[in-house]
Amino acid sequence: MYQLLTGYVLWLVFAVFFGGLAWRVYTYIKGLDWKLDRVPYGYHTAAGVKGAMNSILSWIVPFGSQGWKVKPIFTILFFTFHIGLVVTPLFLAGHIVLFKMRFGLSWPAIPMLLADVLTVAMICAGLFIAVRRFALPEVRIVTTLYDYLLLLITVAPFVTGFMAVHQLGGDYEFWLLAHVIAGEIMLLAVPFTKLYHVVGFFLSRGQLGMDYGIKRGGLKGAPMAW
Amino acid sequence: MPEGIFCNKTPVNTKEALEAVLGDKGGKQYYAEMQLLEVDKAKLAASIKNTCKSRTRTWLEMCAHCGLCGDSCFLYLCNNRDPKQVPAYKIQSTLGEIVKRNGDVDNAFMQHAMEVAWSQCTCCNRCGQYCPYGIDMGVMFGYLRGLLYSQGFVPWELKIGAGMHRVFKAQMNVTDEDWTETCEWMAEEAQDEWPGLEIPIDKQDADIMYTVNAREPKHYPEDISEAAVIFHVAGENWTVPSSGWEQTSLALFAGDWEACAQQVKHVYAAIDRLNPKRAVGTECGHAHRATVIEGPFWAGRPDGLTPKPYLHYTEWLAEALREGKIKIDPAKRIKQPVTLQDSCNYIRNYGLKEITREIISYIVEPGYFVEMSPNKEHNYCCGGGGGFNGMGIFRPQRNRALMTKRDQILATGCKLVIAPCHNCWDAIRDLEEEFKIGIKWSFLKPLIISMMIVPEHLQPKEEEE
Repeated sequence: MYQLLTGYVLWLVFAVFFGGLAWRVYTYIKGLDWKLDRVPYGYHTAAGVKGAMNSILSWIVPFGSQGWKVKPIFTILFFTFHIGLVVTPLFLAGHIVLFKMRFGLSWPAIPMLLADVLTVAMICAGLFIAVRRFALPEVRIVTTLYDYLLLLITVAPFVTGFMAVHQLGGDYEFWLLAHVIAGEIMLLAVPFTKLYHVVGFFLSRGQLGMDYGIKRGGLKGAPMAW
Repeated sequence: MPEGIFCNKTPVNTKEALEAVLGDKGGKQYYAEMQLLEVDKAKLAASIKNTCKSRTRTWLEMCAHCGLCGDSCFLYLCNNRDPKQVPAYKIQSTLGEIVKRNGDVDNAFMQHAMEVAWSQCTCCNRCGQYCPYGIDMGVMFGYLRGLLYSQGFVPWELKIGAGMHRVFKAQMNVTDEDWTETCEWMAEEAQDEWPGLEIPIDKQDADIMYTVNAREPKHYPEDISEAAVIFHVAGENWTVPSSGWEQTSLALFAGDWEACAQQVKHVYAAIDRLNPKRAVGTECGHAHRATVIEGPFWAGRPDGLTPKPYLHYTEWLAEALREGKIKIDPAKRIKQPVTLQDSCNYIRNYGLKEITREIISYIVEPGYFVEMSPNKEHNYCCGGGGGFNGMGIFRPQRNRALMTKRDQILATGCKLVIAPCHNCWDAIRDLEEEFKIGIKWSFLKPLIISMMIVPEHLQPKEEEE
């Protein structure tokens, strides 16, 4: 079972993950319409790229934008969550070993202690993000069960992975298998749910940045102070 | 399909129709008819299919429901943080539902959507600035307004406003004759004090073609003569078109994209006809938005540029002051605490934040200028943007919306507010009327005239005894 799930099934999951995201990028760009969006795509390219970069960088750097600065607690939760989410699985020694075995590729790993810290921090941040969803009226009103489900899908591989690595909860085999399945569910969910923001963030932030970079002030030499 | 006489899906296209709907005072019958107006679901579904493309769909689908947009919205803040005023909620529960249900919505839903689209959003675009994904709900509300307008669910005044542009190519039923007569009258009046002053109409190949907001000829003709005086003193070779002089667009507020296109093409036709080097528009925010920022797209110009460079008044003025065409008498500069209203339309959405501050540096004695907080592209809407100033049924909501700007002004301690935008100017006037905080407000033109140095040769000859 483990062999299958980390072999053929994993291949398939990656194919769906990357293929799905590529499809997301393709349909997004294909659906952009200069007339309806009122953005001159294809003209003023340098200003557009500059605006897109300004927009993306301001938001991908912690406290880089006004929006992050006015919400310091959320910003810390947000970045803790996302850094743990991206860095841990990509640089976990166990994952790299597996990857080398299956696909022949290898890269440096982060120390186990750091992986643990990132994982626990990410899970805690996820918990607070869930609490925030029902504690704050302005968040509660827009929150749906779907949002909790996505949070669960995202956190599950980390909880199960932590249990397996530290041999907690008794049955190692169970937790390992649960971890692999949870991880694959998450990867599969990404292109089909709004988790596609792994590419969508760059597209959407980039698009608005381009809008501001060209039409809404950029050509006037006044870059938006996001 | 029940359609009202006034409230229906057909835009106002004739003078007779316009007069008829204007005759329905306050839109009493209009809103009564709206209760029965049927939704053309097939048409709505077709509109969504044709116009709701990847950007809007991504914005609607991808919204993480994080609620960060709440605090960015002045209407959320000034309505006691009512969760129903969170931008994401407002757009998801209106446009989001319409798209999700593919247009299968009823009359009550559309009326609710109309209320949200015109009384809970001024399309200031501040939320897009504060959304991690850059979801610009102001843009989406503009889009929603278009869908609502096409189904006849639009506030009475804006149906009329859009009709005005269709019929007169100007709001407030100002005709081209009214306009040219006003210009001639203003020139004549000003000549006593300003010998040689002219308001040249339809002059070919001038350096500047000047365009205005129709309420200037209608209610504030002195604004036109002030512009003329300043151009005169600056020695500009300028003109106004006899037709295509009206730069505003109530059609933009209404979501009547066809009328928006007609209006802006009419202005561009004047540019083509008169061939000026540049065009300059008056101190108005949405007029600039309609003619210069969004206009090129309505007119089908894929590079997003106007046919000739088109300056906002503040850009021209800053240039004239910088180059010394207009010189300020240092003794007459403003020597009282003064603040500046940043108009969403040309500050957040056109990047002129430093231009207006450059003007301030010439006309205010150092140490007297006080910034609002927040300011520049982060400033709050005046409270009357996006058509909010002009709709009777939403007056109470508009008046409440003014509280944000009131508190911002109060916090500066200033008694004078410079507001180089007709909409902001109105909102600030109304907030003074509503809350009596003892402030004065002004456009730039009268301030400049009060402090500019008039060259000897332009000064009126002393009457001989």
